[in-house]
Amino acid sequence: MEFPAALFPSYFSVGPPREEGGSAPVAGWGEHGQVLEGGPGRRQMQPAFVPRRGVTGERWEAADAAAVPVLLPSEDVWIPSPTPQDILYSSGLCRNLRAGKSGATLDFAKQLGHFFVDHPEDAFGSLGHLLHKNFYLGNSKLKVIVCPGITVLFPTLPLASLNLCPLLLQRPARSSTIRMTALVEDIDRLEARRGCPRQHLASRLRWFSHLCRDWLFEVPLGLLADCLHEELMQQWSNLLFDDSLTGGALAWLPPEDGGTPVGRLVHPGGKAMNHLYFQDVVLEELPRARGSPAQFELSGRIRQVAAARVDGQDFVGVRSDYHCGVWRVPGKAGAAPTPLQVIHTDVPASCLTVSPHLPGELSVCTQSGTVYLWSVETGLQRLRHDPQTMFFRDHSSWRWSDFTAHPRVLSCADRTGLQCLDVRAPKRCHFDLFKVGEEAGCQQGERVVLPMYLGRAHPSQYLVTTQFSTYVLDERLPLMPVLKWAHMMKAPPVFAHLMPGKPGRSHKVLLGASHTQELLLLQYRVVSSGGSQSACQLAGTPQKLHSIAGCLQHLPTQLPHRHHMLQQRLTAPAAGLAATLEEDALHKSMLIFQLSEAGDVFCQRLTHKPAQPPAPPSRDEEPCANSQPSPEVPSPAAALQYRRWLRALSRACREPPQHSWPPSLSQRRLFTRRDLEGPAGPSSLQRQMRQRLRQTMQEGGCIQCWEPLDIQPPPQPQTLEPADGPDPLSARLTAAWTGDWEQWWEERTSFSVAQRQRALRERRRRQKRARGHRSLSASFTSSLTYQSELSELSDTGLPLLSPGRPPILSQEGSPRASSPPLHSPPASPVPDEALLSSQSLRCRGIPKERRKTLRDYLSVWAEGPPEPPEPPGSQASQLCIPSSQSQLSSASQPLRKRPRMGF
Amino acid sequence: SSDEHKLNFRKSKEACLSYIQDALLQKQWKRAAEFLTCYVESLEKDYSREHIGPSEVIWRIGTEIFYHSQSSMKEFNYFMEQMKTLGVKRYLKVCLEHIFHLLCNGQIDEAYQNLSLAESWRFGEQTAVQDKEMKLIQAYRGLLDYYSWSKQKNILLEHGEDGFSDLAVEQEMHGYFRKAAVNLKEIIKIPGVWDIFVKCYVDLLEFYGDHNEAHQVLNEYAYNSKFPANPNAHVYLYQFLKRQGESKKTLISALKILHDIVPSHELMIDFNTMLQKSKKRKKRRMGLEVIFAALDYAGWKENAKAWSCLARQVKQIVISGKHLDWIKQEWSSRKDWWPAFHFSRYLAKRNWQENKSLSYEKALVAGILLGKDCKYFKYVSHQGCKAQLKRFRMLKKFVNRHNPAYLRISG
Repeated sequence: MEFPAALFPSYFSVGPPREEGGSAPVAGWGEHGQVLEGGPGRRQMQPAFVPRRGVTGERWEAADAAAVPVLLPSEDVWIPSPTPQDILYSSGLCRNLRAGKSGATLDFAKQLGHFFVDHPEDAFGSLGHLLHKNFYLGNSKLKVIVCPGITVLFPTLPLASLNLCPLLLQRPARSSTIRMTALVEDIDRLEARRGCPRQHLASRLRWFSHLCRDWLFEVPLGLLADCLHEELMQQWSNLLFDDSLTGGALAWLPPEDGGTPVGRLVHPGGKAMNHLYFQDVVLEELPRARGSPAQFELSGRIRQVAAARVDGQDFVGVRSDYHCGVWRVPGKAGAAPTPLQVIHTDVPASCLTVSPHLPGELSVCTQSGTVYLWSVETGLQRLRHDPQTMFFRDHSSWRWSDFTAHPRVLSCADRTGLQCLDVRAPKRCHFDLFKVGEEAGCQQGERVVLPMYLGRAHPSQYLVTTQFSTYVLDERLPLMPVLKWAHMMKAPPVFAHLMPGKPGRSHKVLLGASHTQELLLLQYRVVSSGGSQSACQLAGTPQKLHSIAGCLQHLPTQLPHRHHMLQQRLTAPAAGLAATLEEDALHKSMLIFQLSEAGDVFCQRLTHKPAQPPAPPSRDEEPCANSQPSPEVPSPAAALQYRRWLRALSRACREPPQHSWPPSLSQRRLFTRRDLEGPAGPSSLQRQMRQRLRQTMQEGGCIQCWEPLDIQPPPQPQTLEPADGPDPLSARLTAAWTGDWEQWWEERTSFSVAQRQRALRERRRRQKRARGHRSLSASFTSSLTYQSELSELSDTGLPLLSPGRPPILSQEGSPRASSPPLHSPPASPVPDEALLSSQSLRCRGIPKERRKTLRDYLSVWAEGPPEPPEPPGSQASQLCIPSSQSQLSSASQPLRKRPRMGF
Repeated sequence: SSDEHKLNFRKSKEACLSYIQDALLQKQWKRAAEFLTCYVESLEKDYSREHIGPSEVIWRIGTEIFYHSQSSMKEFNYFMEQMKTLGVKRYLKVCLEHIFHLLCNGQIDEAYQNLSLAESWRFGEQTAVQDKEMKLIQAYRGLLDYYSWSKQKNILLEHGEDGFSDLAVEQEMHGYFRKAAVNLKEIIKIPGVWDIFVKCYVDLLEFYGDHNEAHQVLNEYAYNSKFPANPNAHVYLYQFLKRQGESKKTLISALKILHDIVPSHELMIDFNTMLQKSKKRKKRRMGLEVIFAALDYAGWKENAKAWSCLARQVKQIVISGKHLDWIKQEWSSRKDWWPAFHFSRYLAKRNWQENKSLSYEKALVAGILLGKDCKYFKYVSHQGCKAQLKRFRMLKKFVNRHNPAYLRISG
């Protein structure tokens, strides 16, 4: 390719960039840049000039109102990546305070808190187990004075002294238990006051943290905090700018010339984006997937997919953090892709490019600053290893490499610029291609974001994008860009795609950003003057294309939560970009594919409109008649595709993953029809009761006795019930209602009554033998052992009246429950007993001996007629407390008395 | 409060700007223009200390809209005059852009007027940027003067053929020369890419016979290390030397430097031809190096001329039987990648289909460098023989006869 006979004039100076500023929203408009004589030649009377930034380019117009999904969403449920709200400190007060300051505040404490709550075993495992009996989180008063002598004892306990603990626990409970409720309240209050400049730590919190900071945590707190902070910083910097996505993870393998219009889309998918798909796509009005894709499961998230065609074969390079692989796809349609080689890197790879010159050659960069030439035949050749950046110091470890016009010369890039290396003598032969500095007229703070070899358009041209501008460079004139344009994108363009134009036509470059999903189409061309090639010229204004999120407004109206879910999915950061030009005699069109992090591939078509002859300016029409906005509504085909996509998406979302639900059985299998037949309606007694209740409520009185005193004696219920309590169905339902169904079932099925009785007798024998060695508290209960053991027996087949169940209901369900003690056999369903059964006590973590003590105590109080169940709250809290006698007795005395009054 | 007011104002300003931006990027010029009329208000309360202030925003966006609307040049000129007064610091920049637009629309005279006006502008102390812009304005005026000079010169030459000379025209022409020369001379002293200015200045000097000055200017442009490594500088120097009828040696040394900078420059064919013709062994060897180096580049892959240069030289060496080591040495650094890069079966097929003479030259080189069993040679010679082309039969014979040469090269 010839070198332009004359270049656009420009100044050249060296050194660091002088121009201050930043991204300006309009910096790319209104400039011609420079002009060059590019007319028919000097023989003419008038010289003709061409601008560096030309006004006219090819007209490409969107064929549809928005981007359309190409592939249906996969079955895997997408897990959105963290958003700034997740990790940033978001207190309104704090925002106001910090409004003036730049920089965000990471919500470190919240994340650490999340860790403690989500992984308590990892955070406090061993000490938690040791100490949980000594912490009380209930609301009722713990009648014990937390004496400093004992609380200070904890930290002095050696961590591993497990032997000591039983000793400690055998002390009277009140001396070793502290009430944590106040502490928790303090913490809650602290949370509410967060961001308040005058917050004062509660002294209690302070002493607690002072006491246990050093020994409570499984992982030393400082170390944990360091790791978490590092991770948070990493997440935040990824949110600001994620350079691992550079290059994009989408590739289009065009059909062979003259072949069927079936190309291949190479894209990642799956929940972790670790599946590589080669999907055949038929190019029709709307591209359509054909057949099922060839699929490969990889061992890491796919960051980049790069492809190049050499000698009629496509080579596809795939980069994940620690692995890079290369596939070969034969040019023949339908031929299967073959994996060729995989390499493993110790440091995450940041770049993988495929050589457009030689088959099976790639270049790989890692974050340690190493550049390799990777040949499938000869393996890896290390070209450079330099952890430092090239031209000035920059902290970023991002490196990039690409091929150049010379197959043995590779370009290496970091944030500060580009250098070209000869792989035959990488140390000796190199030259600077691009430098962030005055040479290219850069701004301060400008950094290289994505370099790309434009070989398919021009063998010696190179594209370099920064967060502010795009540059086209010519290797033959290094350091001086032949084209520069401020792209004005809101986020740095990390994806680029080149569509070379035929001779005389413009080359198209697509730039894409990740988080904002921006997509920009630029055109540039080589001005030809007098038959010889001339300088590069930007052709026409850049054009904004549809983003994936833009189709949201064209989708059918959704319910708010589904709309929100869709919005979240469609606004997921872009992850890749690919495009293809379709040209035949009549139509020229461009298909642009965009991949999102959710794994969706959307596409849009642009059609070429032949240039209109400029209309005479005197025309009455509005001056901007030549600008046609894209269609307002999607075409029927696109609308159909939206609906199909939505349907598939809702299918994928509705079916929850198996593990998130507890195993369930159909009711029909569990119950016979008769079981399910309930009472036909409220019984007359129920009706009476309700009426009475209503009446009493109106009067504002109180019902002291539910016995229908003033009416006829209740008729016997029709249903046959076992004499010892509610029928099995209601017992089962009650258990199911309170969530203890499984336990109930187990009890019912696994042991028969006889078995349990045998086991009990066995245990009794053992206990008798051991009684001699027992402590005082154990022997104290001996006279009442039988009673308590019977209570254990009584669980089987009887309703477990657990605290969640409202007492009134139980009475309604079985009218005779009003006088249970009269009819019940010795092993009557005493609710207190049921609650104090060994199983329920074990569930609550009460040690065996203490279980017994507790039972014995309660049974002393339960001498008379057993008490009906108590209101749930008080029971629960009482039974949580493996605590002092005085408290229990004080709590249970009124319980005993009230039912007597009632019955 | 006033702070809040400022904040709100700034917010609405930003929103307006983003609407404009959106409209521009979608080529909705009319919509953008409507928003711009609202944005003009931001000039009144310009609290911003941003890199690009509202006046520049209005200039840039307004200009862009004018470029794409079909409004008259008069309107555009009026708008530009307004913009020049709006942002004093940007006066020269706006002038330059205005002039560029006039030039691109063929309004050379108006552009010249504007250039003269801009040149006489003074405002306070000039910044470095303004200084650069002023120099450019002067240079472009020099360029236009040069075009006027060139026009007069053509008139004179035409008239001169008639044996009629016009003293007034001649004097006018000299006047243009002086004006152009002064301005052009200034800008090309500053490091930069000044291809058109240098060409015009050298043309002026050559016309008036000041070859030393021209040579010096071109030397400076090509060899001053403060200037970028512009291949065109060397090309202009080479062309000048050639025009001057300089010796082969001088020409070769000029091209040698170009070769060192840009081995893939299209002049390398001329360079190779020149070197091949040389009687000195060293030069001929350099010729081989040059052509091998050029063919390393992807842009030369299908350049039939270059391949025929290489084929000719390789053939020469093989026939003479001397200097096979030259080929051997060149080949040694390429034998691991040239076969896949140039001589694959896929390329043989494609070259044969697209360009028979290219495939002939390449097959010759492949046959000598890789032997008669090489895929490329086998395919092309087979196809050639099948098509009954005498040339290809000869090629096959030649390669078979000189197979020992291959053995020596590869061995």
